[in-house]
Amino acid sequence: MDRVIPIRTEPRAAAAIWFVGIGLVIYALLFAGSEWLVHRNGRMNPIYKIDATRGDVDWVILGASHAMPLDFDGFNDEMERRTGRKILNLAGPGTGPLYNRFVLEYFLSRHRTRNLLYVADGFAFRSPMWNEERFSDAGLLARTPFHPDLAALLARYVVREGVDPRALADYVTGFSKLNNRNRFRRDLWEGEASFDRTFRPSPSAEKKRADYLYPPVDDEQAGRARYFAAMAELIGIAARNGAKVTIVKMPIPLRFKSLLPGEAAFDGSLVALAKGQGVSLIDWTEAMPDPGFYADTDHLNRKGVTDLFEMHLKSVLSGDRSPLPF
Amino acid sequence: MLFNSLPFFLFLAATLVVFVLLPRCVRWFALLVASIVFYASFGVANLAFLFAVALVAWGAGLLTASDRQGVRKAALAIGLGLVLGGLAVLKFYDFVADEIEPHLGIVLPRLGMTAPVGFSFYAFMAAAYLIDTYRGTCAPERDAGKLALYISWFPKILAGPIERAEPFLKQVPARLRFDPVLASTGLQLIVWGLFKKVVIADNLAPVVDGAFRIAPYASPMELLIAVYFFAFQIYCDFSGYSDIAIGLSLLFGIRLMENFRRPYLAVTTAEFWSARWHISLGHWFRDYLYIPLGGSRTGLLRRYGNVMAVFVVSGLWHAGLGYGVGWTFLAWGALNGFYQWAGLATRGLSRRLGERLPGIAASGWLRVLRILLTFHLILVSWIFFRAETIPQALTVVRRIWAALPGLPALAPRYPFTADHAIGAALILLLLAVEILDERRPIHERLAAAPVALRWSAWYACIFGLVLLGQWQAQTFIYMQF
Repeated sequence: MDRVIPIRTEPRAAAAIWFVGIGLVIYALLFAGSEWLVHRNGRMNPIYKIDATRGDVDWVILGASHAMPLDFDGFNDEMERRTGRKILNLAGPGTGPLYNRFVLEYFLSRHRTRNLLYVADGFAFRSPMWNEERFSDAGLLARTPFHPDLAALLARYVVREGVDPRALADYVTGFSKLNNRNRFRRDLWEGEASFDRTFRPSPSAEKKRADYLYPPVDDEQAGRARYFAAMAELIGIAARNGAKVTIVKMPIPLRFKSLLPGEAAFDGSLVALAKGQGVSLIDWTEAMPDPGFYADTDHLNRKGVTDLFEMHLKSVLSGDRSPLPF
Repeated sequence: MLFNSLPFFLFLAATLVVFVLLPRCVRWFALLVASIVFYASFGVANLAFLFAVALVAWGAGLLTASDRQGVRKAALAIGLGLVLGGLAVLKFYDFVADEIEPHLGIVLPRLGMTAPVGFSFYAFMAAAYLIDTYRGTCAPERDAGKLALYISWFPKILAGPIERAEPFLKQVPARLRFDPVLASTGLQLIVWGLFKKVVIADNLAPVVDGAFRIAPYASPMELLIAVYFFAFQIYCDFSGYSDIAIGLSLLFGIRLMENFRRPYLAVTTAEFWSARWHISLGHWFRDYLYIPLGGSRTGLLRRYGNVMAVFVVSGLWHAGLGYGVGWTFLAWGALNGFYQWAGLATRGLSRRLGERLPGIAASGWLRVLRILLTFHLILVSWIFFRAETIPQALTVVRRIWAALPGLPALAPRYPFTADHAIGAALILLLLAVEILDERRPIHERLAAAPVALRWSAWYACIFGLVLLGQWQAQTFIYMQF
């Protein structure tokens, strides 16, 4: 029977050390190159945006992907021009309050904001998939610039919040950046490409999307409690840094809303949180039921954000009509 | 705990440390525990199957050494019946029940379960052990633990090689040591195996999966690319696993048999199956099915029957490895059986032609032509392996066949993507390595090369893994049953 033939050269410790040493140097060079690409192609990543911001801002927007269309295709600039306020949108796809809090803490370590607009979604307050597990997301890590103080903050989240240590290892070694197949592409979220599209309602697509957002969880009550506590802490951090918090629920099509499980209970908890924390809460969920305002099952298109801004958001951001706190 | 995952690397490091620290006489036991832990990581319940197979092999193996012929035969029959019968039932019972129920008009009970991961492999290892002990070519192992280590050895339990007991057991415990030379070879095999799996196979997979998912609507060019890519995906996936398994074993001083030898450079389909592709399985079928059936020593018709029987059974064995259990595997096995028939039928003719035209027969161009012909025959058979149903396979074949005359004109206009370019480049790289290896083993070339070249080759592999590897824990195709 054929056997593997061992190599003829005897490995030497010195050679092995040299091999590893040169390998580490190559790795460091690749790390530096990947980091350069992150900065060159950066756009949507919240940490990149924080790095790119100069000075303090009037508004920080946080939340999951429903808040992202407000920064698509220059719409954030348009809002700034129309309101005269400096706005920084730090929302990220599929990011719940735990990840949002992480982003806010990093932001506040470098800048200040007078206001915080938090876009709340029911799905983001129940599953680790949208919170602890987002820290390990290779796509997100691949676009997150490296900073030692951010690594230290992430380490604290590993210790205190149960974030997977592999997320920290990945971030520190830059593995996801080196391993990023889209390293040469600009950091654009796929939703931005369909910003001008109008969604043709599809029950199967809506059902699939709702199922994706609401994966089965072991203990929904415990999840809700945990992420509402994370949200309360986020509000507390904002308040301690002098930022006034406004929570909003973004519009979604009516039929899609009917597919979201436990939405009434979530709304109740959100109202209780807002009251307890003394922050404003505005529910725009049913403000724009027409499917023509949406690019897909649940994200506003250009027409949607334009109308939302004109009818509701402009007055909030410009401070003409501050919502009343509970 | 897949080979291409972080938990496995941590497990391996811990196992190596314990292995090195322990005295040699008890190292085998540590490896047995590690193998059990590794297998349990795919489901603790799987251990019941593993222990059952090991127990049956151990008990029946001891009885096959009995002085009484009746006891020996009964032990072999019962042992093989339990192991291979169990494999057949777990693989096919529910599928067969689904198929025949409508014809019988009754509701048959279902098992509602399949065999655990790797069962196809360790059941065949146990069967080989029983037959070898019955034949007297392998002494029965009295130590149940050592036999369990042979069956459960973690590098090979999921997808082989289907190592024989005798060469494995004679290495335990005598050769269990950390040898830097062997370990260095092992690490090189692990890196190359990972490269084949994580870089080549897993970068080809999305193109293949995408085209087969929409086979009736995909363009013929898309299907053609997918079929070519699949040939290399399955090769790199499976041989990558084997290389890693052999490399891991070398870290502990254990040598496993070679399982792949540049299969797509075979000049006949017979050579492909007997000496180049999944060699350990080919040898298994040769030794435990083909020869007992009479092999090539019987009459012509019987010989043809034996060949077809081997390939049909091989098709059945492959059912469930990656793409479900269905008729496609039978078709795949039968098609390869037909290839062997064609080879047998034309062997005399090609020998006579070779005698009359020795210059042409020995020419390199004819060899290349034969390699290409063999590769494309195998390529067609892979369509049946990859497709989920016979109609899907036939759709792929029909659509490609119908479009073949127009493909040269269509190709320049086809919207090739970066995935296609990366896939093609990786395939060319693999072929270059294999062709070089065929002429002179790569490890010899590397050992003789200047250190800068040798190290550059390994850095290219390692950083290829980092930069291009698909590390999202893609499972190995052959370990899915």
